Amino acid sequence: MRILVVEDDKKTASFIAKALKEEGFVVDILADGDEALAAIKATTFDAVILDIMLMGRDGLSVVRQLRAGANRTPVLLVSARGEVNEKVEGLNAGADDYLPKPFALDELIARVRALLRRGGPAGNPTLRLANLTLDTTTLVALRGDRKIELSAREFRLLEYLMRSAGRVCSRAMILEKVWDYDFDPGTNLIDVYIGKLREKIDTRTDAKLLHSVRGVGYTMKEPL
Amino acid sequence: MTILRKIAVGYSVVAALSVVMVAWLGYHEFVEEPAEYAAKGLPDLHQDTAPEASAVIFCGLVPVLLGCGWWWLHRVLVPLRTLTRAVEELDTHNLHQPIPRTLNGDEVDKLTAGFNTMTARLDRSFQQIREFTLQASHELKTPLTVMRGQLDGALRDGDALPPDQRQWMESQLGEIERLGKIVDSLTLLTRADAGALTLQHQPTELGELVREAVEDAQILAQSAGITVTLDPCQDVQVNGDRHRLRQLLLILTDNAVKYNWSGGFIRFALRNAAGNAELRVTNSGVGVAAGSPDRVFERFVRGENAQAKVEGSGLGLSIAKSIVTAHGGTIEFESEHGKETRLTVRLPATTKPHETSGGQLPEGAI
Repeated sequence: MRILVVEDDKKTASFIAKALKEEGFVVDILADGDEALAAIKATTFDAVILDIMLMGRDGLSVVRQLRAGANRTPVLLVSARGEVNEKVEGLNAGADDYLPKPFALDELIARVRALLRRGGPAGNPTLRLANLTLDTTTLVALRGDRKIELSAREFRLLEYLMRSAGRVCSRAMILEKVWDYDFDPGTNLIDVYIGKLREKIDTRTDAKLLHSVRGVGYTMKEPL
Repeated sequence: MTILRKIAVGYSVVAALSVVMVAWLGYHEFVEEPAEYAAKGLPDLHQDTAPEASAVIFCGLVPVLLGCGWWWLHRVLVPLRTLTRAVEELDTHNLHQPIPRTLNGDEVDKLTAGFNTMTARLDRSFQQIREFTLQASHELKTPLTVMRGQLDGALRDGDALPPDQRQWMESQLGEIERLGKIVDSLTLLTRADAGALTLQHQPTELGELVREAVEDAQILAQSAGITVTLDPCQDVQVNGDRHRLRQLLLILTDNAVKYNWSGGFIRFALRNAAGNAELRVTNSGVGVAAGSPDRVFERFVRGENAQAKVEGSGLGLSIAKSIVTAHGGTIEFESEHGKETRLTVRLPATTKPHETSGGQLPEGAI
């Protein structure tokens, strides 16, 4: 997997590259928007991490140019501008995800991995993981033969985690997808919900499906 | 004494003296002189005029003149009153709007011109402070990103780190995170102050957002044994930014849970009242001592009971107020010290009143 990091601050670029390399990615670094645009057009990258404020052409303009040229390389925008609707602006320009600075490395990696899995079968109405089944049309959840009662929010949370099964979902990603929040609520809301969900699906069994990932968030996976 | 009153008194004194003088002259002319002439046997020069008619003219003229004077005074003072009103309405958000001038070159017009120059200068200073804050926030982000990233990286491959060093690094990371949040909040508030909070307006059912906030509140409040109710929840649509409205609801919910007693209550109520969506969040708790209710919206101001016990930045309600103001609404804080606290948000509604549902959420809903 080859990833391009476009970032004009050398130190930032270097710690991002180091962490990605440790995760087994091949990493290229560029600092200039125009050079980045040319590189993405010329080489096939699996994903691009793109800063908005750059030398030369800015990140938003790079994405617009790429999408105008029908280039679908997954793009994760990062930005230090910290404006509330920059995310909307970025996604409208054609980016796949947006992460405000400063960010946790695990958060960045979780998002990059989510980008790489993008385009998988998302339309399947029945989700399965081990003996847990979630029917998104009838809103019924079953663990084996046992029916699980879920509130609307718990159902959406479980659906999101099951659709992302096998990869880490950070708290911020869960907040965005399930709560529709684009800000950090500064509460332990998710952890409380996860606790309730875990009680409903993982008690009375040793085959746990829902796991915490320290400092990042949660993941669902088949028991070993 | 107002200027108007001073001039009116002066004018009345002059008018009264004039009346006395006119009366004396009239008396001399029409009563004394004819009597004198008659005594001397001379013919009365005023025989052709009726004294009553002259008296009526003189007496009638006085109130008319007084009335005209009063009207003129009022007219002259209108620009002064307009200026007063305009000055009263000035705050940091509308400094850039000059007060309309009469351009007739009188003293009040000159005063208005001078005043406009002064507010323009003030506006420029405020503008500079805002730009500086935004620039500073942005400049702070880069070192924060590097610090956080490097610490994060060191912790990731730091399995061999001694536990106390690891703990120290984690604590540093926590502080950097907090700093990042404060910088974010400051950016948002500065944008809001400049009236540049970009909102993605769309018709939004406030009831739906409130129901979700109540569900979250029930989850957050459960461990403290706080009862959360929603009654009524009328259907009301507002034209607003969904994300910012959710943020507003979360701030209100979070405060209601944090500044509460264990075993206390939180009551949500959403009404469609006189063209406004009126949301009330009432919670039990110590509240704020009398005298400082409006200060809760100021930045970094926290209730005295909150200082030690509750974690928070002291920016929550400032952000809430900015969001409400940016939506053209109002927010009001009332507190009965030692008993309860109530926040009332009013946002302009886009639909007619129409009640559908209400009451406590069913137990099974959570």
